[in-house]
Amino acid sequence: MRDTLNTGTRLMNALRPWWFPAVTLGLFEWYARTAGKDSDAIAPPSAALGGFASAMSDGSLVSATAFTLGSAALGLLFAAVLGIAAGIALGLSPRAARLSFLSIEVFRPIPSVALIPLSMLAFGFGLRMEFSIVAFACFWPMLLLSQAAVQQVEPRLLEVSQMLGLSPLQRARKIILPAITPRLFVALRLGVAVALVVAVTVEIAANPHGMGYAMMIAQQSLNPGLMLAWLMWISVVGYAINLGALKLERTLARKMGQVA
Amino acid sequence: MAVAQHNVLNINRVAITLGGREVLSPTSFDVARGEFVCIVGPSGCGKTTLLRAASGLLAPTSGEVLRNGQRVTQPSREVAFVFQDYGRALLPWRTVAGNVALALEAADVRGPAHAARIHDVLGKVGLLGHAHKFPAQLSGGMQQRVQIARCLAQEPQVLMMDEPFGALDALTRQGLQDQLAHLVLNDGLTVLFVTHDLEEAIYLGDRVVALQANPGPGRPSLARMLDVNIAKPRTQLATREHAEFLRLRRELFAFIEQSHA
Repeated sequence: MRDTLNTGTRLMNALRPWWFPAVTLGLFEWYARTAGKDSDAIAPPSAALGGFASAMSDGSLVSATAFTLGSAALGLLFAAVLGIAAGIALGLSPRAARLSFLSIEVFRPIPSVALIPLSMLAFGFGLRMEFSIVAFACFWPMLLLSQAAVQQVEPRLLEVSQMLGLSPLQRARKIILPAITPRLFVALRLGVAVALVVAVTVEIAANPHGMGYAMMIAQQSLNPGLMLAWLMWISVVGYAINLGALKLERTLARKMGQVA
Repeated sequence: MAVAQHNVLNINRVAITLGGREVLSPTSFDVARGEFVCIVGPSGCGKTTLLRAASGLLAPTSGEVLRNGQRVTQPSREVAFVFQDYGRALLPWRTVAGNVALALEAADVRGPAHAARIHDVLGKVGLLGHAHKFPAQLSGGMQQRVQIARCLAQEPQVLMMDEPFGALDALTRQGLQDQLAHLVLNDGLTVLFVTHDLEEAIYLGDRVVALQANPGPGRPSLARMLDVNIAKPRTQLATREHAEFLRLRRELFAFIEQSHA
């Protein structure tokens, strides 16, 4: 008796987060089939399933997803390498931080999508244009967060490295980098979200590739079912990527926690 | 400047002002090769500050530190420093062996010499069976031994220790004192050792340097210099009952009490 009660409660708890999306979808479906029946703009969620199937069968789902994720990942990688390196340098040298403060504060507020015209002139359409904008957008959080992380490294460890006679490069590799790794993962998870948002935005605004462009095409060809399919797919991909990044971060934190 | 060859360290009128406050007034003394010198004094007398200046971690406001006749301007691999807070001085993401290896990586020691030296220093501090553990898995005393092992791996000429056993329980402290005394005697190390424990200073030291807090304008921080004429190796039981030990203990305690008044 008790067991069935528990199972029932557990089932209720597992279902509880789902009722709001389910009801919303149901309402949407009902609205699209009644009031919005003749609309070119809305399609019932069930029509999105058809759109999804067609995108999957013609291969555009895989190729567009690969393009968007590829340019987001490449941009994030560039931003991470440059941003972390610069962040370590600025974190270690108060003088460099003072000197670069103005330049950073001038460039950082530029909305990344405002670089689309410039980037289009420089690189034309395609991967390079998109990942350079993603890299710009992700560079700043990586820089600022790794700089802050370096400033929080245990000062005693820096004295230890001085007394042991570590070279500046050794100090960065053997002391600073491992010490800031947990904080870098937080920065990286933030970067993943930013990269996806910027990549899709660039595709919607300008670049004729990827998931954002596919969604635009569906909208312009008056195929709201397909458009809705892309929208939901983007949210699923974003959710999966964030979940993956969080898992990775937790695994690492647990590993470092065991030793720290 | 002519410097007697047997002196490893010359502290010449070293004074240090931090944040507008004179933490250490001009202090001078020498440390001979192979000598174990302990620095004691009440809190705030500048003993840690003096040690940091001697190591090159901190530049004196005036005066100079000479090591082997050369002016000290920055830390050197010839000088190893044992910090009091072992928990913060060890790399938590490296094992015991990895922490010791850091000293060898800095000196670019590779190949068979690398493993041999780790084995050697871990043996000296009695941690051979714990090489693959992480610092968090060790007791405080063992963590401090890891730090000492790392300093030994540096193969320094001078070992500087800042209240290394201050955070440990009495029994662990005594064990480490004997281990350190044994090590230093065997390796012929020169040691500069800061402690607030007067008995520890007498037990370990060949000489005890006593500093006073707020000596007054123009007066040196250095207040007493006591030679410890007790033969080595010493033992906890016998040495602590030695007449000379008790006499020095009385003298130091009287001095500390008077400087508190």
